[in-house]
Amino acid sequence: MKISTAEYFITESLNSIRRNGLMSLASLMTVALSLLILGVFIILVMNLNHMASVLESQVQVTVYLQDTLKEVEVREIGTRITKLPGVTRVNFIAKEEAMNRFKQRLGEQQGLLAELGEANPLPNSFEVKLDRPERVKPVALAIAQLKGVEAARYGQEVVEQLFSLTRMVRIFGVVLILFLGLAALFIIVNTIRLTVFARRREIGIMKYVGATDWFIRWPFIIEGVLLGFLGACIAVLPLTQFYSMLTGQVYESLAFLPLLPKYPFMGYVNIFLLCAGIGIGALGSVISVKKFLKV
Amino acid sequence: MIHLNEVTKVFDDGFVALSNVSLKIGKGEFAFVVGPSGAGKSTLIKLLFREQLVSAGEIIVNGRNLTELQPQEIPYFRRSLGIVFQDFRLLPDKNCYENVAFAMRVIEASRRDIQRRVKHVLDLVGLLPKAKIYPAQLSGGEQQRVAIARAIVNNPAVLIADEPTGNLDPETTWETMRIFERINQSGTTILMVTHDKPIVDQMMKRVIALENGRITRDESKGVYGYED
Repeated sequence: MKISTAEYFITESLNSIRRNGLMSLASLMTVALSLLILGVFIILVMNLNHMASVLESQVQVTVYLQDTLKEVEVREIGTRITKLPGVTRVNFIAKEEAMNRFKQRLGEQQGLLAELGEANPLPNSFEVKLDRPERVKPVALAIAQLKGVEAARYGQEVVEQLFSLTRMVRIFGVVLILFLGLAALFIIVNTIRLTVFARRREIGIMKYVGATDWFIRWPFIIEGVLLGFLGACIAVLPLTQFYSMLTGQVYESLAFLPLLPKYPFMGYVNIFLLCAGIGIGALGSVISVKKFLKV
Repeated sequence: MIHLNEVTKVFDDGFVALSNVSLKIGKGEFAFVVGPSGAGKSTLIKLLFREQLVSAGEIIVNGRNLTELQPQEIPYFRRSLGIVFQDFRLLPDKNCYENVAFAMRVIEASRRDIQRRVKHVLDLVGLLPKAKIYPAQLSGGEQQRVAIARAIVNNPAVLIADEPTGNLDPETTWETMRIFERINQSGTTILMVTHDKPIVDQMMKRVIALENGRITRDESKGVYGYED
């Protein structure tokens, strides 16, 4: 492509945006609004996903040991658990440590324990962390078989509900994002088609004087890309503002809620939305022009 | 230049627009195509610049066999033709100069060539002083002259005109015809579809008459031959 041709394309697309001022504004706002909604859902889905994986990673098996074991036997059990597939960490919690934690959890009501005196009814235990939550059940069953193990506990129901919830959130999120993306594309195709329709005579004349299809397409594609990019910019600014406000609020008052930190998460979201805007604009133009090229 | 060999065009609804038409138009010729409405004149034009494809037979224009032309070759083929329509088909938001330059931009001519050629052809049709004026402010005759300038700006070997004087008054018609004649004298082949009896009768060029999709008459110095 010659530089003068590229220049011509850019001038043409800018002229077209200016000439169809109201229409361009409509496309711009459509892109902005669609991408804004898309962005909100991406933030929502990614954060739910993040929370789910944080919760998933917290899944662990607690192994209670019989009180009669000698130290060597305890160590032996520990090594055996470590060798099980999927086990990433094994922490030994001595009964004294368990009592301390229990006291801490009781807080002001520690007095309840006074009756026990020096006696400690809590057993020695292991906290076993696993690499994948699907492994919890088989590993727990395997540990329960070991000699000297009183019980291997895990929140079976909680874990299984969590699985189905996160799976649903993921599937629903992907479907929703696809759907919104398509809806945005559809609206943009229709808006650009109107500007193309207004110029169909021009396209016809271009074909008669021997313009190639790509020569005709380029100004429209540049127009679509510009509108898509600007629309995405309009969506990205309030979205970033909103997320930094949200994370600020949550960190202050709901610190236990594991939100994704603003950096680099919002950077990725913004880059994605800008690319989506550009892509949707370009694709929308190509689709809109297609019908009018058959002369 | 233009060679039709037993060309038949049947539309999807079964209407036969052209039936077994054979025709040869040599380099530098000036030929009128006449005939009543629905005779197949417009179809002939559409076939000639490959807006439509023949149903049977073959068409060769400028040495290219249009039946074998790939879709992506069509634009390059059309650059060897100039086309003028009854309704001018100028771009309303471009001035005269830009309308003519447009045909050269499409083929990615250099800026210097564009300036030189556009000025030259606007001068040829007598509109150089109005180069900066928009089509809406021009008379019909002037608009058609801009369209002619656009059609010849790329030096086509063949100029096809579809009732170019259909929307013009008699005086402007003659002005326009003189321009066509000058273009023809410089060696460009011209094929003109027309309903204009006086110009056909007076110019004494080749006349090809089409009726019901068939050639009924082909005379080297013919007349219109129909009552208006």
